[in-house]
Amino acid sequence: MLQMENISKVYRTETVATHALRDFNLHVQSGEFVSVTGPSGAGKTTFLNIAGLLEQFDNGRYMLDGISVSGLSDSARSKLRNEKIGFIFQGFNLIPDLNIYDNVDVPLRYRGFGRKERQRRIDKALEQVGLAARQKHLPSQLSGGQQQRAAIARALAGEPAFLLADEPTGNLDSIMARQVMELLEQINSQGTTIIMVTHDPDLAHRAQRNIQIVDGEVADFHGFNATAAAV
Amino acid sequence: MLSYYLQLAWLSVRRTPVMSLLMILTLAVGVAVSMTMLTLQHVMSTNGLAAKNDTLYALQIDNASAGDGGTSSGNKLTNGLPYLLSYRTVTTLLRSDIPLHQVAMHRWAAALSLENNQVRPSKELVRVTSRDFFALFGVPFIYGQVWDKSADNDARYQVVIDRTMNQRLFNGENSVGRSLQLDGRPYQVVGVVEDFNPLPSVQDLTQGAFGGNASIYLPFGLHRALQMMPYGSMTYSSSHPRPQPQEPLTPEQQYEQILQERYFWMQYWVELPDADTKNAFVSYLRNYFDEQRKTDFFERDFKYALSTPSQWLALNQVVSNDTRVMTWLALVFLAVCIINTIALLLAKLLKQAPETGIRRALGASRSAIFIQNLVESGVIGVLGGLLGIALSQLGLGLVRTLVSRDEAAVVYSDGLTLLLTIALALLASIIAGCYPAWRVSRTSPAYYLKNQ
Repeated sequence: MLQMENISKVYRTETVATHALRDFNLHVQSGEFVSVTGPSGAGKTTFLNIAGLLEQFDNGRYMLDGISVSGLSDSARSKLRNEKIGFIFQGFNLIPDLNIYDNVDVPLRYRGFGRKERQRRIDKALEQVGLAARQKHLPSQLSGGQQQRAAIARALAGEPAFLLADEPTGNLDSIMARQVMELLEQINSQGTTIIMVTHDPDLAHRAQRNIQIVDGEVADFHGFNATAAAV
Repeated sequence: MLSYYLQLAWLSVRRTPVMSLLMILTLAVGVAVSMTMLTLQHVMSTNGLAAKNDTLYALQIDNASAGDGGTSSGNKLTNGLPYLLSYRTVTTLLRSDIPLHQVAMHRWAAALSLENNQVRPSKELVRVTSRDFFALFGVPFIYGQVWDKSADNDARYQVVIDRTMNQRLFNGENSVGRSLQLDGRPYQVVGVVEDFNPLPSVQDLTQGAFGGNASIYLPFGLHRALQMMPYGSMTYSSSHPRPQPQEPLTPEQQYEQILQERYFWMQYWVELPDADTKNAFVSYLRNYFDEQRKTDFFERDFKYALSTPSQWLALNQVVSNDTRVMTWLALVFLAVCIINTIALLLAKLLKQAPETGIRRALGASRSAIFIQNLVESGVIGVLGGLLGIALSQLGLGLVRTLVSRDEAAVVYSDGLTLLLTIALALLASIIAGCYPAWRVSRTSPAYYLKNQ
């Protein structure tokens, strides 16, 4: 599903070169639920951005669902991102002027689906996260947990191969965090691969596998309840 | 996707109403000022004889006096040639059968009335012309026909009026055979023609760009009978002193002097359908000139100009240099407005950049973001254009209060200029939107997502 080999990423200023990732190796198999932990500045966000094709890497090889992403044009990367990846952000990142229905509609518009297909997928995704009745609400009219569920619906609507979640419960209270986590587990149980960055060790332990990143490298991994392995 | 982008653009306009309004206003003012000046220029440069531009020619002959070396005197055009001819010259030229049609003419004015006093008397502009006027300028007859050829030489009190005058005097009925009065003298209506009011009045620019149209046409042969003088320019030019008669001249003799001496007051148009005819006419002209040169009627070397209607408009500087300069200044002002709009758009789009980051994360390519933002600029441009139309109408209204009544009558924008206004606003907004749209589309989505 996702295979990174010797990925490195350096941020350079005129005076400083910061190695965000160095010789980073990771192999995530289809259907896995992988948590990524590590101290601040360890490279978690950089990893997520590269995995999500939001940033380029300097060296190494990255295969996503059998496709080498090196050298792809922006258009091809965007298409791949749209079709294969769903994003869930800590701050939800819903578009405030669009209602929930239209927010979920955004990735489907770029996919080029017709109106009926988009409607079917939006209804299904909102049903799945329990927000079917709130589709005409603006994000500001929903609670934090509901907003995150709307963001998950948006990520799911495109039926991506895997979800990238960046601190998905970071802005939620414990009850809502639990609900969102249960939703992610449910989604994973239906076959969607999930990679989740988190600071919360409890949440990390609910994943099948935990990757710890320190100084841009995979420092440790733990298999909790699956057979997948980091390379 | 276009409809989606249009929805997003409208949403964005509503989201930032003040900034959007500022941009719309900026574009509208720039476009309105430009379109006001472009409309003026467009109106003033319209060639009402464009359909016959390849075959009609206004004739100029260098009939200035030998001592007149200047090119800027009041009776000369920018090519250095006088724009009026003498009666003697045009009556000689009229005898040529080389041109397909030829017209000698001038403006006259007379008090118009009807015998039964059914209309209030009024002073009217009259065109005194040879009979080819209607055929040469393509003015069709509604009723009747042009006067007989003999009326170009002999006094025939006949008249042709246009549709508007016929409506005013005779309620639009077939008025052939009826009569009207000019300066108290009856004239029989022999024909009614369609209105011929090109604006500018390219056929006669002697009194400005818009004052040459008339509704009443009289035969050329009436000159001696009525001792007609032009309602407009007449110049006398000779290096010799005017002959002083031994005895006082009768009015008829005095008038005959005007007809035969170097008094210039006639306009002359010819229709030359092909190059051979044109060459033949020029040869005829040269022969006439050489012959008259011997008698000192022409004092300078042979020089002439045959100008098409469009060339005639240019020679007469219908679109003045002032108008051109003002138009360029207006376009510079539009450029300043575009630059301001670029700055406003950049600020607006950068403010929306986090949303752009989200869209990029969800699969929008750079080109999709670029087009989306360009469509938003276009929507602002169209709104600016609509407002610009309203403002340009105000501008043209202001211009109408500043110019003469004749000019004011034509200072209106037509459908073409309204469309041009929208197109100009759209173009301006797209030009203004290109850089901000490109800039936002090039920024890394990760940057925005991190800064949400």
